[in-house]
Amino acid sequence: MIIFENVGFEFEPGHPVLRNLSLELEPGQVVGLMGENGAGKTTLVKQINGLLKPTTGTVYVDGIDTRETSTAQLARKIGFVFQNADHQLFADTLQAEVAFALRNLDFSKDEIDDRVARYLELFELTRYQDQSPFLLSGGERKRLALASVLCVEPQILILDEPTQAQDALQKEKLLTFMDTFRDPEHILLLVTHDVEFAVKAVDRLLVLSQGQLIADGLPTHILSNPRILDRARLLPPQLTQLAHQLAKEFPNFPTDVTTIAAAAEAVNQLLRRQR
Amino acid sequence: MKKGMAAIFEAFRFKQKDTFMHRLDPRTTFFMAVSFSIIGMLFLQIIPLLLVLLSMLPFILLARSTRQWLKSLQGLAYLAGFILIINSFFISFSFAISTVLRLVALMTAFSLFFLTVHPDDFALALIKMRIPYEFAFAFSMAVRYVPTIATETETIRDAQMSRGLELERGNVFQKVRNYVPILIPIIVSSIRRALQVAESLESRAFGSTATRTSLHDLKLRKRDYTMMLLTILALAFVLYVAFVVQIQFPYLLPDWFFWGLPF
Repeated sequence: MIIFENVGFEFEPGHPVLRNLSLELEPGQVVGLMGENGAGKTTLVKQINGLLKPTTGTVYVDGIDTRETSTAQLARKIGFVFQNADHQLFADTLQAEVAFALRNLDFSKDEIDDRVARYLELFELTRYQDQSPFLLSGGERKRLALASVLCVEPQILILDEPTQAQDALQKEKLLTFMDTFRDPEHILLLVTHDVEFAVKAVDRLLVLSQGQLIADGLPTHILSNPRILDRARLLPPQLTQLAHQLAKEFPNFPTDVTTIAAAAEAVNQLLRRQR
Repeated sequence: MKKGMAAIFEAFRFKQKDTFMHRLDPRTTFFMAVSFSIIGMLFLQIIPLLLVLLSMLPFILLARSTRQWLKSLQGLAYLAGFILIINSFFISFSFAISTVLRLVALMTAFSLFFLTVHPDDFALALIKMRIPYEFAFAFSMAVRYVPTIATETETIRDAQMSRGLELERGNVFQKVRNYVPILIPIIVSSIRRALQVAESLESRAFGSTATRTSLHDLKLRKRDYTMMLLTILALAFVLYVAFVVQIQFPYLLPDWFFWGLPF
């Protein structure tokens, strides 16, 4: 459980990046975090694993105040996959790359070998295991970065823009993988600009604008609310845009449509009524 | 650590201002910075070094960059502290102080240059000094990328700390090794970026003509000649004191010149 209590943060006095932010994240949820460029998304998630500490207010992770612990301590519990894989890959081989976090956290040798093998397999990287990470393609490097964080099997996982530069197939795979985090022990927090992906992936959506939480709730409700979308400089999902177009002609057409199933249902109803 | 590193770079980040120092030709400012550095290197006594430092302050004030300069000093504090401890331990406290003063003087001289000269103007100045365009351009790119790499370094450090990296863990050798996971991504992503920049330059026809003209030209004005003349005079005087008076007639120099702490 993650709790933000009236959290404020500033890099320089007088320039707040987060303002009086209160928030609770419970296990069992995949949560999305969206907002315009510079809204403070990355600053917010860095508070969770203690890379940044709040200027005012408190952040608790499982009851522990992040100010009283270190990022290395929290690393056992919290996995953080950064936007750019090139910012974390450094080892001679893929195996060593995955083992890095496990070694830092003093796992036993057998456990390390076991997990390295399992996670390289899971991300379809086993055949490159003795190669240098720098010889991999962009998409493979991204998967390796993911494997090298997930091997710790963290309770809380933060993904910063995981869909950037990924093709449709990889996005689908990511969705399937994210499903495994939808259980009573895990929290998954997804930072993204990708509205279409967010609609499919998350159970709860947070919208940040200029350091303040301006919306918190079901993605369907939020992503069809023009006022919020406008403030956070987001475009509604394509299905919602289509629904708005249709609603101009057919006043009863629902505009809070975000999923294909809901859209199909609405169109069916419309056709039935027309007949 | 993080704050310290960012602060040092702050000293070399150009900010556009309309001051006497900013209006000087880059060649003039460069000449002044080099002369001040030479002067700083000539002495290892506390009072002369303090005088060198003091003589640079008016220029910092003129450039209205006092805040940035102070910030960079703050960033230098770690390195200065290290030098202070090592030198007092092996040589003497007095010597340690003068080494730190020399370091501060050198950094002040060059931050005066980088704070008041736009990187592009610097490249232009290099070309005027007959340096091939490609080299001048490479240099101004290097300066331009310093803040980018500084920000990137912080991101990389954050990413590795999230994977349980503890920089302070272990003995001295292990501590140095702890930086490997940070250094390698910096080098790799810098090389990747360099290749990208090169391709993007080529696709915009960089180097397609042998001679280039530039939109605005540098011109030495009266104020530049005045400042250069003053700098030459100052440099000549100091060189005379350092190499002639100090060596042949040290008794002519006042006592405070050689003053040092007894420990």
